[in-house]
Amino acid sequence: MAAVTLRGVRKSFGRFEVIHGVDLDIRDGEFVAFVGPSGCGKSTLLRLIAGLEDLSDGDLSIDGALVNDLPPAKRGIAMVFQSYALYPHMTAYDNMAFGLTLSRTDKRTIEERVRAAARLLQIENLLERKPRDLSGGQRQRVAIGRAIVREPKVFLFDEPLSNLDAALRVQTRMEIAKLKDDLRATMIYVTHDQVEAMTLADRIVVLNAGRVEQVGRPLDLYHRPRNRFVAGFIGSPAMNFLEVVVAAAEGGAVAVGLPGEATLQIPVESASPPVGTRLTLGVRPEHVGVAEDGMPATVLAVERLGGETHCHVTLEDGQRMLVRMEGDIPVGAGDRLCLNLHGETAHLFDDAGQRL
Amino acid sequence: MRLRRTAGRIAFGLLVLGIVFYAVFPFYWAIVTSLKAGSALFTVEAWPFHPSLDNYRAIFSQQPFGRNILNSLGVSLSVVALSLGLAVAAAYALGRVAFRGRTLLLLVVLGVSMFPQVAVLSGLFELVRWLGLYNRMGSLVLSYMIFTLPFTVWVLTTFMRELPKELEEAAMVDGASPFVIVTRVFLPLMGPALAATGLLAFIAAWNEFLFALTFTLTDEARTVPVAIALMSGASQYELPWGQIMAASVVVTVPLIALVLVFQRRIVSGLTAGAVKG
Amino acid sequence: MSGAGARASGLTRQRRRSAWLFLLPMLVVLAAVAGWPLARTVYYSFTDATLATLDAYARVGLDNYLWLMRDPVWWRAVWNTVLFTVVSVSLETALGLVVALTLNAHLPGRGLLRAAVLIPWAIPTVVSAQMWGWMFHDLYGVVNAALLGLGVIAQPQAWTADPHLALPVVIAVDVWKSTPFMALLILAALQMLPQDIYEAARVDGVHPVKVFFRITLPLIRPALMVAVLFRTLDALRVFDLMYVLTGNSRSTMSMSVYARQYLIDFQDVGYGSAAATLLVLILALATVAAITLGRVRFEAGR
Repeated sequence: MAAVTLRGVRKSFGRFEVIHGVDLDIRDGEFVAFVGPSGCGKSTLLRLIAGLEDLSDGDLSIDGALVNDLPPAKRGIAMVFQSYALYPHMTAYDNMAFGLTLSRTDKRTIEERVRAAARLLQIENLLERKPRDLSGGQRQRVAIGRAIVREPKVFLFDEPLSNLDAALRVQTRMEIAKLKDDLRATMIYVTHDQVEAMTLADRIVVLNAGRVEQVGRPLDLYHRPRNRFVAGFIGSPAMNFLEVVVAAAEGGAVAVGLPGEATLQIPVESASPPVGTRLTLGVRPEHVGVAEDGMPATVLAVERLGGETHCHVTLEDGQRMLVRMEGDIPVGAGDRLCLNLHGETAHLFDDAGQRL
Repeated sequence: MRLRRTAGRIAFGLLVLGIVFYAVFPFYWAIVTSLKAGSALFTVEAWPFHPSLDNYRAIFSQQPFGRNILNSLGVSLSVVALSLGLAVAAAYALGRVAFRGRTLLLLVVLGVSMFPQVAVLSGLFELVRWLGLYNRMGSLVLSYMIFTLPFTVWVLTTFMRELPKELEEAAMVDGASPFVIVTRVFLPLMGPALAATGLLAFIAAWNEFLFALTFTLTDEARTVPVAIALMSGASQYELPWGQIMAASVVVTVPLIALVLVFQRRIVSGLTAGAVKG
Repeated sequence: MSGAGARASGLTRQRRRSAWLFLLPMLVVLAAVAGWPLARTVYYSFTDATLATLDAYARVGLDNYLWLMRDPVWWRAVWNTVLFTVVSVSLETALGLVVALTLNAHLPGRGLLRAAVLIPWAIPTVVSAQMWGWMFHDLYGVVNAALLGLGVIAQPQAWTADPHLALPVVIAVDVWKSTPFMALLILAALQMLPQDIYEAARVDGVHPVKVFFRITLPLIRPALMVAVLFRTLDALRVFDLMYVLTGNSRSTMSMSVYARQYLIDFQDVGYGSAAATLLVLILALATVAAITLGRVRFEAGR
């Protein structure tokens, strides 16, 4: 168990910089998820922490010690790979014991630790099998077991669930959550799936194009995204963005004109922009209400998921929105709806994408 | 239509038979000849009507052929072991570590495989004499590296490159040094590639002629191909064809057995070395 | 704080250092058996060294090369080698294609057929030379007997002794021995071709011969070119076949046989080295020509 600190971390491959100065404090025993679209640098960042890539600049400490130039094995980390990377010619037991064998741990300790990890992961009956005789989920457990046996200060997971099918992924997610409580170790978890990040992490680091966009608790990111990128990335279905113009501004709130006649009053934290400024309004599909009266819209298409209904609509000025409604709502293409937005669940972004 | 198809089938069948006959007949003829003794040798008969093992007895009693086989075996096995050992290490570096000059190095290795052997003959002769290996097996083991190393390095590099990167990284996290990664993680996975390249190296070493002819002097030090090429009979002007064929059969049978058993491996080794580059 | 200097000596560098360590034994051996001897050969080619006096010799400049240029036997060897290479590689390519297409067809016992085809390849060159030497024997050979029986020839031929027949015989033996290699490389290329193209061609009713020339041949061309290059380089340095079948006979002598005769039999290391050096140059030229003209591409470093 240990804190992980990144200071001004940069990484270039040749002339091409992929991590542009990341500062991050991961606390002891914390579960942190790195999320972002593919190519955002989340895996590279994890590999830098693991020591599988060299830092181009900056400092990395684990448990208070600078580890910039330490090889992976000496950093006190363990890693679970996307493809599991089990040694195909070794049994599950040997896979888990390999690292300890190399560090000349005595046989008894190895046996104890492997058995304990196997018990925790419920794979005691699989220890004599080779990876090819294991299912995807079982391989995953052996890979996690191999990490546990090392008793690392920090666990690193690189998209560990992406090779599993949907059902198994949900189940394994639950088990990792339980593991987190059992082991109480620092964990860093890379995923492109924001649901995994939201459900598992104590804190989420949203990365985009090699930069940290926001760090925060899952619901903070959901409710108070710092910028348009985070707002659009966190939440499913994704947030609606509308082009709006400031109609009035007074201390702590801005009124923007909506398509149609209506205006919407939105509380802001920063100084109000002058009347006439173009802004982007962000509203999550689940925060759009349908009522007798409100912003007029025409239904374009309807997706029925049973428990909820997704309605694609066009506003009077041609902008499009997605509306998410609970239950199976009887609407059809061509219907006219009146939409209600609420200032407390709406967000305003300036032309640089920053939240007001 | 049906007639044409039948005719086509028959033609194809004849083609297949023709290919098999062409490929196998010379060897069959060698067997037939080797079983003929005395004057039967000089009659052209497709079947040995009075088979005799005289020729086989003669090559082991009148010639040091047993010794020649042991020489060839010793040389070939040492060549396989040495070239695989050197090539596995080199293939790890060439296949998995990015460093400047890697492509150039691979091309140099490929270039060496195109050297004509005669172009290194005098220099190697000098080296062999300087090392005191003249007329000894060591001279052949060393000199055969010139043709076995390039292709073992080349094939094993291609193979190493295909092994998953994460496997190596997992081993690094587990604290494995490059040496441990090669010997305990990669080597066990390379069985098929090692078998294929090892077989090819064995066959190449077993068949080599020019170096063996040049670096050995006495009958006892010769390898099988040289012994067969230089086999002489009672008089200098009469070649003991029966014995030559018997010796040819003896050295070829194990090779054919190897080919039959490992044909898939051999084919994959050949094509990995050539087609994939 | 760790400065930029510490960065440079990071993990990548450590990895590179061990890579060179792993390469070192192989490089040392290759340098010893290939690099150094080749350099010596080139060096000797400008001297009058003999095998007996390898360490006492005089520099003679280009003399050896000038003598070589004036020796009709050398030119005969060059001509023999080129003729041998062109004819045998062409025949091997054509036959190899036929054999590969046959092996590629779905027929019972394909594995056995493939093994049969591999036999000539596995047999040592020396052995195949002896086997064919015996089959082509002027008095007791099966070839003469068969051809006489069929009425193709009127009297027994001295195949390996007749200057007009010896080189064709050598070529025939090489074709027998090396066609399997060609066929297997082509077969591997054929088996990598996508099947749906052929299904589409069949649906469109394209004639099989046209399919072969318009689809198959262009698709396997790259692999074919690599195989042809390999065989060409092999054929240009041919030694065993001629040496065993016809000894140092001028009618079949290849450049390698010529060079070895001077190096070892006549012990004239200087002159033999000059011939060997020219052979290396010719091989290098052939390689460059093949790579540029034939657009042969190796997947060296991806």
